[in-house]
Amino acid sequence: MNATRSGWALWGDRLLLAITVLVAILWFLPVLWVVTMSLKPNSELMRSTWGFIPYPFTLQNYADLVRLATVPRWLTNSLIVAVGMTILVLVVSSLAGYAFARLQFPFKRTIFVLMIAGLMIPEQAVFLPLHQMFADWGIHNTHAALMLPRVAVPIGVFLMMQFFRAVPRELEEAAELDHASRFTIFWKIMLPLSVPALTTLGLFTFIHAWNDFLWPLVSATNANMYTVTVGLASIQGNFAQTQGLGSIMASAVFASLPIVLLFLIFQRFIVAGVAMSAGK
Amino acid sequence: MHHSKALAALALTTALTAGGAAGAAEIQLMRFFGDCQNEYGNVNDASQANGECGIITALVNQFNATNEGGHTVVVQTADWGAYYDLLTATYQTGNIPDVAVMHASVLPDFVARDLVTPLGSLFQEAGIDTADFVPAALQNASANGEVYALPFDLHALLFHINMDLMQQAGFVNEDGTVRLPTSPEEFIQMGKEFEEKTGQNYFATESQANEGMMVRFFNSLMWQQGVDVISPDGTTASINSPEGLKAATFIKQIYDEGLADPNLDALGADQAFLSGQAGIELIGTWMVDNFNAQAAGGQVALKNYAVANVPNLFGQDAVWADSHMWVVPKDEGRSPEEQEAAVAFLKFLNDNNFQWSRTGHLSVRQSVIDSPEFAALPHRSSYANTAQIARSLPQTQNQRAIYNAMISDITATWLAGAEPQAALDSAQSQVERILRRSNRGG
Amino acid sequence: MTAAARPATRSPRGRSRSRGWLTALLFLAPFLAVYLVLLVYPLFLGIWISFRDWDLMAGDYGPVGLLNYQDLWTDPVFWRSTRNTLYFALLTVPSMTIIAMLLALAVQGPGRIRAICRSVFFLSSVFSVTVVTLVWQMVLAPDRGLIAPIVQFLGFTPVNYLGSTTWAMPAIVVTTLWWGVGLPMALFLAALGSIPKELYEAAELDHASRWSVFWRITLPSIRHTVILVIVLQIVAQFQIFGQPFLMTQGGPANSTRSLVQYIYETSFRDWLVGYGAAMAMVLFGMMLVFSMLQLWLGRQGDDR
Repeated sequence: MNATRSGWALWGDRLLLAITVLVAILWFLPVLWVVTMSLKPNSELMRSTWGFIPYPFTLQNYADLVRLATVPRWLTNSLIVAVGMTILVLVVSSLAGYAFARLQFPFKRTIFVLMIAGLMIPEQAVFLPLHQMFADWGIHNTHAALMLPRVAVPIGVFLMMQFFRAVPRELEEAAELDHASRFTIFWKIMLPLSVPALTTLGLFTFIHAWNDFLWPLVSATNANMYTVTVGLASIQGNFAQTQGLGSIMASAVFASLPIVLLFLIFQRFIVAGVAMSAGK
Repeated sequence: MHHSKALAALALTTALTAGGAAGAAEIQLMRFFGDCQNEYGNVNDASQANGECGIITALVNQFNATNEGGHTVVVQTADWGAYYDLLTATYQTGNIPDVAVMHASVLPDFVARDLVTPLGSLFQEAGIDTADFVPAALQNASANGEVYALPFDLHALLFHINMDLMQQAGFVNEDGTVRLPTSPEEFIQMGKEFEEKTGQNYFATESQANEGMMVRFFNSLMWQQGVDVISPDGTTASINSPEGLKAATFIKQIYDEGLADPNLDALGADQAFLSGQAGIELIGTWMVDNFNAQAAGGQVALKNYAVANVPNLFGQDAVWADSHMWVVPKDEGRSPEEQEAAVAFLKFLNDNNFQWSRTGHLSVRQSVIDSPEFAALPHRSSYANTAQIARSLPQTQNQRAIYNAMISDITATWLAGAEPQAALDSAQSQVERILRRSNRGG
Repeated sequence: MTAAARPATRSPRGRSRSRGWLTALLFLAPFLAVYLVLLVYPLFLGIWISFRDWDLMAGDYGPVGLLNYQDLWTDPVFWRSTRNTLYFALLTVPSMTIIAMLLALAVQGPGRIRAICRSVFFLSSVFSVTVVTLVWQMVLAPDRGLIAPIVQFLGFTPVNYLGSTTWAMPAIVVTTLWWGVGLPMALFLAALGSIPKELYEAAELDHASRWSVFWRITLPSIRHTVILVIVLQIVAQFQIFGQPFLMTQGGPANSTRSLVQYIYETSFRDWLVGYGAAMAMVLFGMMLVFSMLQLWLGRQGDDR
């Protein structure tokens, strides 16, 4: 790290790094193992599941998966729900966040405190009444029903408000002199500035939506509306009894691919975004 | 007259050749039994399939390929443990299936809330003869003098036996039949002797808290002592009675004496039995066909397979039983064509009841039971009278909740070292709370 | 995160104040609509349902007063589930915090190797709960798992972890740690990155040991983040559902049944929505206490 460091410290650093790498490898082994199993024939897995090299090798598990089309359908549902929910959360949160950061209106403080109180309402306290409400409205088994309960997240509003507050006022005041409307200022000046904040909020919403389990479990009861998480749970129950182990592992790997790709593309934003939202 | 008849004939021919134009419907079937599309997705002949999953998959395929109405059955499967949660949720979320499988023990919940279609007159129109159902099955499917379900089987617990290990232990009589214990004391003592001579476990069953095979055994032992776990009017429970203590103490003793491995889950128990690590497996009728095929196939250590009724250990012959049935859930949005298709499918299932009984389940149709082909199925003579000794809880609501409460507490006696009396008291108090709920004014 | 609201300074110009309100309302409307309809109303509906005998399939049987709450008092499974939830949180929260901090310290800094390690530790948290539990059910399996051969090599008999009342919960905790350590680690990384370099340079001149630098500089500097992580973890782990639901179904012998799972089962398996709603309210109350604790702790930190 530093040339003035003594030799002991340097060796200490290297040792720590070596241990870290070892832990990382161990951390990654389960993932590697699952990928390996997904590339082995089911008959081989009946004999033994041991080993990290896919030999004998087969792509049959993945071919079956695509042929049966159930997993691709779950993937599509998950994508629609996750993307839709992300867009809704971003729109709703940035609009409200801007209002709390920069606009004047009566009862502002009261409304703000009420919103913050909403942070303490856990999903489990409302999922039963929500389920009854959605049943009365007849909207279960739609993509909208899977998105809506998670749109009302005060934390998103809070994050966007924090961000907008940090933007220097001068940027807006110039536009105000030009008699630009509030929405124009928001749309043309504030939103472009808030791309990092939007990316962070968007990524976390996306991951959250993708991994949601309890709500889709009780709302999407039609197999055509399953998300990946619920769909996989539905075949995991009788695993190895009627389905081959390799097929199940292949579905798990296949279902994880989009989110892993997304993660690899956006990972630097995640850490940067966490830094931003936690640095307050 | 003549003219219209010709027209009708023409219409019929068109309907048949066009693969069903008028009146053809697509209906939703919801069931457990597993998903085996990979193996049986293309099998259109039920007689070519084996096992619960295979046979029901092939039956649906066969119906889709051959039914005259041109109807199509679309299947949604759910894991056994999640099935009723899912079926329940469909009433809220709107995709109510047109046909669904249901245990006799669950039917009262649905009948009490008017959630299933009465089928008596529909059966009559379709030519399903309810008089052919054995009395117990018809009673399971009925409430208040109306039929609400098509009974499909009667399934009970059995002792599945590895005869080679029994031979080794010296428990085979001269006539080739197996010698089974006649009292709890003898059970333990024979078990110890068995383990000494063979080095394997005497007994194996699903012992984790998932399926509660031992709760079914517990209930069987209660009936063997002449006690109903739930009173016939469904108001009181006698789980923590002296008889209950005797049964629970015996069950705990089986594990404490090392006669059974408490770590086995459902799959593990089957594996242990097939690989010759257990003399007896306690599981239901549905495994008979499977075990028989495996033993004949020669790939597993189990070579010489036999079946027996759960023996009488406490005085009376009795064994736990339940019944798979098919219901038509009530749905205001269902069209007459869909209802007709649903009944046509039920009729098809009833006509092919024999195929289902090949799994090892007992048929519910007297005509099938009396048929020579049924008698020719393997091992059936060994448990022919199971239907006579089969017992079920009275037709009360919330049996699933009762069952689950009992599973948690009774499995705790060997999994968590709970004292039998304490476990039974806990189960008793929970079941009383459930019974109070199910006997409310509503 | 500071929760205190500070109203923005009033606009110096008072022009068309009512138009300003209207604009603000338009900006707030979407949020207020979803917030009121999908969070506030259901909360009060839930409270109302918890005082009624509400059947999932047959609807409302009418008011029962406090019966649902009385039943909770004498329901051993409810208490067991509450205890399990607390036990799970007690095992998970401290270990998660410590491991996340250690990992953050280990992978912080420049270099490709550390960057890859960062990715690896974070990667596991993007998998869905179904995939995570599937992987760990396999890893923990006594007959064909990853751990069994190692245990055997060391001369012990492999344990059926998920089938043992002693080991099932710790096994679920390990699964949760593997799954969830990414986010707190990222939080710690962010906090570590914002410690002024000068502090370390001063310590280096003093020839302070690595250990004392950690205790004297690093830990005090990230104090706020430690509290944040602990509170976030408490809130998250209280809501545990998927892992035991998929791995052990709450067994063996109720040893892993969580409160949320019991709420789900009571409502959707036993159809007792009123009773389930009462439990949900108790969970809400418990989490409210911890959220208040968060506010209080946050304020304590700010006073210094």
